[in-house]
Amino acid sequence: MKKKWLLCLLTITLALFLVACTTTSSDDDENTTTDDEQTSENEGNESEEEESDSQDDGKKVLYLNNGEEPTSFDPPIGFDSVSWNALNNLLEGLTRLDSSHTPQPAIAEDWEISDDGTVYTFYIREDANWSNGDPVTAQDFVFAWKRLLNPETASSAAFLGYFIKGGEAYNTGEGSADDVMVEAVDDKTFKVTLEAPTGFFLNLITNPAFFPINHQVAQENPEWHSEADSFVANGPFQLKEWNHDNNMVFEKNPEYWDADTVKLDEVHWAMVNDTNTEYQMYESGDLDSSGIPSDLAEQLLEGDDVVYEDQAGTYFYRFNVTEEPFQNEKIRKAFAMAINQEEIVNYITKNLEKPAYGFVSYGFQDANGQDFREQNGDFLTFDPEQAKQLLEEGMAEEGYDELPEITLSYNTSDAHKSIAEYMQQQYIDVLGIEVTLENTEWNVFLQDQKDLNHQFSRSSFLADYADPVNFLESFITDSSMNRTGWSNEEYDQLIANAKNETDPEQRFEYLYEAEKILFDEMPLFPIHFYNQIVLQNPDVTGVVRHPVGYLELKWADKN
Amino acid sequence: MIKYIIKRFLMMLLTLWIITTLTFILMMSIPGSPFNDVSDKTSNEAVQANLESHFNLDKPMIVQYYYYLESIVTLDFGPSIKKPNDTVNDLLGRGFPISFELGIISIIVAIISGIILGVFAALKHNGIIDYLAMSIAVLGISIPNFVLATFLIQQLAVNLELLPVATWKSPSHMILPTIALATGPMAIIARLTRSSMLEVLTQDYIKMARAKGLAPYKIIIKHALKNALMPVVTILGTLLAGILTGTFVIEKIFAIPGMGQYFVESISQRDYPVIMGTTVFYSAFLIIMLFLVDIAYGVLDPRIKLHKEKGD
Repeated sequence: MKKKWLLCLLTITLALFLVACTTTSSDDDENTTTDDEQTSENEGNESEEEESDSQDDGKKVLYLNNGEEPTSFDPPIGFDSVSWNALNNLLEGLTRLDSSHTPQPAIAEDWEISDDGTVYTFYIREDANWSNGDPVTAQDFVFAWKRLLNPETASSAAFLGYFIKGGEAYNTGEGSADDVMVEAVDDKTFKVTLEAPTGFFLNLITNPAFFPINHQVAQENPEWHSEADSFVANGPFQLKEWNHDNNMVFEKNPEYWDADTVKLDEVHWAMVNDTNTEYQMYESGDLDSSGIPSDLAEQLLEGDDVVYEDQAGTYFYRFNVTEEPFQNEKIRKAFAMAINQEEIVNYITKNLEKPAYGFVSYGFQDANGQDFREQNGDFLTFDPEQAKQLLEEGMAEEGYDELPEITLSYNTSDAHKSIAEYMQQQYIDVLGIEVTLENTEWNVFLQDQKDLNHQFSRSSFLADYADPVNFLESFITDSSMNRTGWSNEEYDQLIANAKNETDPEQRFEYLYEAEKILFDEMPLFPIHFYNQIVLQNPDVTGVVRHPVGYLELKWADKN
Repeated sequence: MIKYIIKRFLMMLLTLWIITTLTFILMMSIPGSPFNDVSDKTSNEAVQANLESHFNLDKPMIVQYYYYLESIVTLDFGPSIKKPNDTVNDLLGRGFPISFELGIISIIVAIISGIILGVFAALKHNGIIDYLAMSIAVLGISIPNFVLATFLIQQLAVNLELLPVATWKSPSHMILPTIALATGPMAIIARLTRSSMLEVLTQDYIKMARAKGLAPYKIIIKHALKNALMPVVTILGTLLAGILTGTFVIEKIFAIPGMGQYFVESISQRDYPVIMGTTVFYSAFLIIMLFLVDIAYGVLDPRIKLHKEKGD
């Protein structure tokens, strides 16, 4: 017995000794590499040879962080930024957004649009190939787009395909795959018929949901997208390595039709899901780009390595018009006017957002090339006097001597909390009303919001495709995005008209009108528009971020 | 002994069944759905319906419970809802070895340094070393590991550039997370060892051993420490289960692809199959650890009987 105990102790000591040995030796390795060159540490692959190789070759390697493991590289499944930001650089659709966010020919070199705007014929490039050498064909698009709409695929992005004739019917189980009007005229000609003329269709199909899939590979191996070995790319990069939950390596795709434009040799993706760690890795040179930890924002935003881009989306508050006292329009308006958006972005969020006085964000051009937001103007002003007056009028209309109790709800987060607390104070100062704050975990919050259990709740909207109608269609009657109980027939009609209108000018008239109605009745009021702010190594150029769309590395370079 | 083990095993199965059933009830009673998108994007009812039928979530509760029990019995938890490329078994199979590797090294470091600190503190009772060791222990217990982790990264990785900041690549990437993870348990072990050593050292048999003129190190290691370790062994079961199955915070901060993340994220995402998988895995692991601890008692201290056969 005694000997056993000693033996045990001995083993543990030995184990510890071994661990100590390996760590110190590797420590030395690390030191020598950091002496050589700081960035060599980043390569940090298990094989030292590879590390020195890549240095000798003078490869251009960009180090990015994807945050976490991509949900899926199966185009219709990975409906989120962690999948599609990366995937946008592995695959390419018929069109791709350029640095000014307009769609340009990509896999399609040219297209024709019928006079009524509903039939698009795309001509696929002769030199568009998959990374395994197969040509990209019209059949690849037919396969991929029908798969997006197949109810058995269960894609959350399927609704994006509802613009295609027969798409919605197939997805909801009322139609069949054959009724979906996508057609391979020949190997390199792809024809699609839409439900209605959709002015932004060329923009819409830059979305990864519309990427082609190599149908021969996919039919042979349905799991082709889940490992680096089996992944076939047709975009600027191909998938070289994918260690799940750990890291990914993209390398330049020599089969890409525009490979000469691509300057980076490799992109290394880390999966760091902690903003502070990400920032610390950026600081130490392990990453070329990082988000900004909120507690350091003020100080970091003054640096010259800050990169800024709008994001099409709105931070706003929903009223529940089925609950007292917000059934009254004047009371809703009073609550909206008592909030100073300018103060919120300058002193609370401090992230350079633009204050919002309308629902559709900046950056959408109408038929005459005017910015939608600027054209339709501001619908809200901070006006304490009028707010007070409207509240009085509203209370008189409803016969209130005292306002019913009001609870303001938000999902648990420090950022939302500070805005909510500001609003709470503002309602005491301006309206003399005490509102109660309530916060719940995101999923519970969202369910309550959908079930109209809140009175007055924080909300956000991020556009899925680049057109104002995407913002405004949320509030048609019974839309799952409505969540206010608000309904207006005229509004519903205007949105329906806008979706079916061929004349672009008339279409925007409908949309302008719709947004006006929304603010006449005010079932919601906006706080600010979203933006994307990142720190980026000043040596890196040409990384493009879109207000609606995903990260572009095609033109990226690193000196 | 065999009879005891069989009895324990049956008890373990029963415990597991109770835990999993409670989890199922709790899991299904929290509001929300796995398809409530995190980024608040457009959601569409037809699309939701497709998703629900795809994952059998449109079936009656009792049928879902049946599927759930079936998945436990067959140890096949099916695909994750949020990561449809992976089955739950894939996720656990990938994450657990990494968490285990980090955990086992941390626990070894914690046990050895904790015992050494505790023993020296007890031997030099009320001396400088005692105060020093106990200050370290108090700090170790009171500083949360995520604070320690961030501090270590900032000092050793960002400022001094001695070690890499994060990610999981080479042995040098393991040093900081090991320290961050081991400090808490080390402090607990040090305090336990010290107090039980102090108690043991006043026992008659230690005085006896001293009187016999045995070498001091022999007395400490052979006679005192062995008995002083009982409380340490007691906490080791839970400690091991907790650390070996991964820790959410440390793995998140150091971007370690372990399984700690799934415990927390699966719940906030309502990823039902992953919740089941992690719960069953953790409970089974914990129960087995506790069982091993009971066996270890008997080995360390023959006075503790595992079974009552002889007494009956």
